[in-house]
Amino acid sequence: MLVCRQASKSYATERGVVSAVTAIDLDVPAGRFAAIIGRSGSGKSTLMAMIGGLSRPSGGTVEVDGTDVWRLSENARAAFRNEKIGYVFQFASLLPTLRLIDNVALPAMLGRRRPVPEIHTRAAGLLERLGLGAYFDAYPSEISAGEQRRVAIARALINDPALLLADEPTSDLDEQTEIEIMDELLAVNREVGTTLVLVTHNLALADQAEQIVHIANGAIVA
Amino acid sequence: MTGWLLTSLALQNLGRRKARSFLLIAAVAIGSGVVFTGAALMRSIDDSMAVGFTRLGADMMVVPDGTLTNITAALLTVEPTDLVLDADVLARARLASVGRSAPQKIVRVEHSGIGSHHDLVDLIGIDPARDFTVQPWLKEKLNRAFRHGDVILGAGRDAPLDSQLLIFGKPHVVYGKLGRTGVGTHERGVFMSFETFDALAAAMPLHGGARPAVLAPGKVTGFLVELAPGATALQARFAILSAIKGVKVVTGDSSLSGIRQGLAALLQGILALMVLMFASMAVMVSVLFSAIVTERRGELGLLKAIGARRAQMIGMMVIEAVIATGVGGALGVTLGVLVMRLYERSLVYYLENIGVPFVWLDLPRTVAVAAAAIVLAAAIGALGSFYPAWRASGRDAYDLVRGEG
Ligand SMILES: Nc1ncnc2c1ncn2[C@@H]1O[C@H](COP(=O)(O)OP(=O)(O)OP(=O)(O)O)[C@@H](O)[C@H]1O
Ligand SMILES: [Mg+2]
Repeated sequence: MLVCRQASKSYATERGVVSAVTAIDLDVPAGRFAAIIGRSGSGKSTLMAMIGGLSRPSGGTVEVDGTDVWRLSENARAAFRNEKIGYVFQFASLLPTLRLIDNVALPAMLGRRRPVPEIHTRAAGLLERLGLGAYFDAYPSEISAGEQRRVAIARALINDPALLLADEPTSDLDEQTEIEIMDELLAVNREVGTTLVLVTHNLALADQAEQIVHIANGAIVA
Repeated sequence: MTGWLLTSLALQNLGRRKARSFLLIAAVAIGSGVVFTGAALMRSIDDSMAVGFTRLGADMMVVPDGTLTNITAALLTVEPTDLVLDADVLARARLASVGRSAPQKIVRVEHSGIGSHHDLVDLIGIDPARDFTVQPWLKEKLNRAFRHGDVILGAGRDAPLDSQLLIFGKPHVVYGKLGRTGVGTHERGVFMSFETFDALAAAMPLHGGARPAVLAPGKVTGFLVELAPGATALQARFAILSAIKGVKVVTGDSSLSGIRQGLAALLQGILALMVLMFASMAVMVSVLFSAIVTERRGELGLLKAIGARRAQMIGMMVIEAVIATGVGGALGVTLGVLVMRLYERSLVYYLENIGVPFVWLDLPRTVAVAAAAIVLAAAIGALGSFYPAWRASGRDAYDLVRGEG
């Protein structure tokens, strides 16, 4: 499902070249729940961004569902992200001008593969499921950080992705909310069979994963 | 379908910073209003100058030496004056460089019964057989020959065809009406044949003063002259001045060239200003939109992350800019039209005073200029926003989301 070969990323800065990720080999079979752990600054987000088609690797390959993500054309990669990948960011990531329901529906609207009423029904269903049934018409500024994160998860799921990438989706939330949100992600993984790659600082959470990837200084440690 | 989606995103983005959007629209409105008004006036002035000489058909005018020729008179309509020439003075001279010549008698009268009591009316006698500056302008006329007792009205006068017009109590028939020429005498004049003019002269009451000399048969106020084929204005002028004593020759070039050149320079200056105005508008929109793109790079990165194609990201930003500048352009044109309506009278008066007979641009071309101004304003929005949007959309989504790029 997910195959990284010698994936690496370095940034050119004023202090010289900074290597964020160096030569990572990673295999995650379809349907699996994998957790990525590591200290702050170890390169977890950078790796996730390369996997998710958001940040071009300096070297190596990333294959998702049999497709070499970074060899696709720009438009094909956009379509690929849209169809195959659901991404939950480390921070709030909703469009402030859109109602929650429209935020959730947006990836499906951009993909234009399904009729609009169907998209809206589905978006409403996802919001309902994540406990936000009362907030369809609310704007992101009107709900809490935890609720915003749930909306982001609903948005990541709208196109039925094959791969769900969640980069510390609960880092700034209280414990109870964290548990609830993790339960939702795990439920998707189990019920729908969506491959889940999760970055977390919470070791208890990581323990539930079928595969733990420990990263330090941009490389996988045993 | 995504077109509509992008448009609604763009509209929502415009609504976020209402004050900023308003200022942008206002700035574009002012710019395109000025450009529209400038362009419309320029075209009008251009047309008016073309009307001045060429369309009136005469190359020069021969009038008594003492005649005050203000610039308006130089636009080849003879102005009323007390000085006269003999009607056959030109014919007798037999000048090879002079082609057709059309004599005119003009008298400015009060209490004529035309218009309100104190209106000054120019009664103009022409020789229908020789005239070539009045009848070509007939816009509508009766379906018969022009004859004794008929009058032709300038475009500024209002009376139905075939109606009766009492002048000093004598009945006349409105034979025809002239199209708009913008030349004062032409616009307000009441034209008639010499026969009719002389008959009327006899009936004209005298108010104390002496009888104007032009009322006498065989006297004319001046001649409108066409050059013989191949002759130059200079040759004709020289020939006329040496053959006939006590006249002056007003030619288009000598009297108007200065003004024309001045106006042409002015128009070019206005044109340059308009180009600069648009250029500065383009720079302003471009600067503003690079700032807006920077401000929204996180959102753009997010859109990219969830699968928006590059063209869609650019489209959203460009649509936003085009709507703002397009609305600004439309607003500017509306303001321009209002301002022109407001100042129409004083402007026309002023221009006619400095010797430009004024003809407004016709409706289709005004609409064309307006459309061009709006399209240009929108194009500026498209151009100004395209580059920053194009650049940003090319960045990695992750860099944008993290707030770089
Ligand atoms: N655009 C950039 N320019 C320069 N260095 C960068 C850039 N992005 C990331 N880095 C560096 O790459 C390294 C890895 O960063 P990354 O965000 O992947 O860490 P992380 O493991 O996600 O940390 P955290 O747990 O705090 O989110 C860091 O040392 C960071 O300074
Ligand atoms: Mg991180």
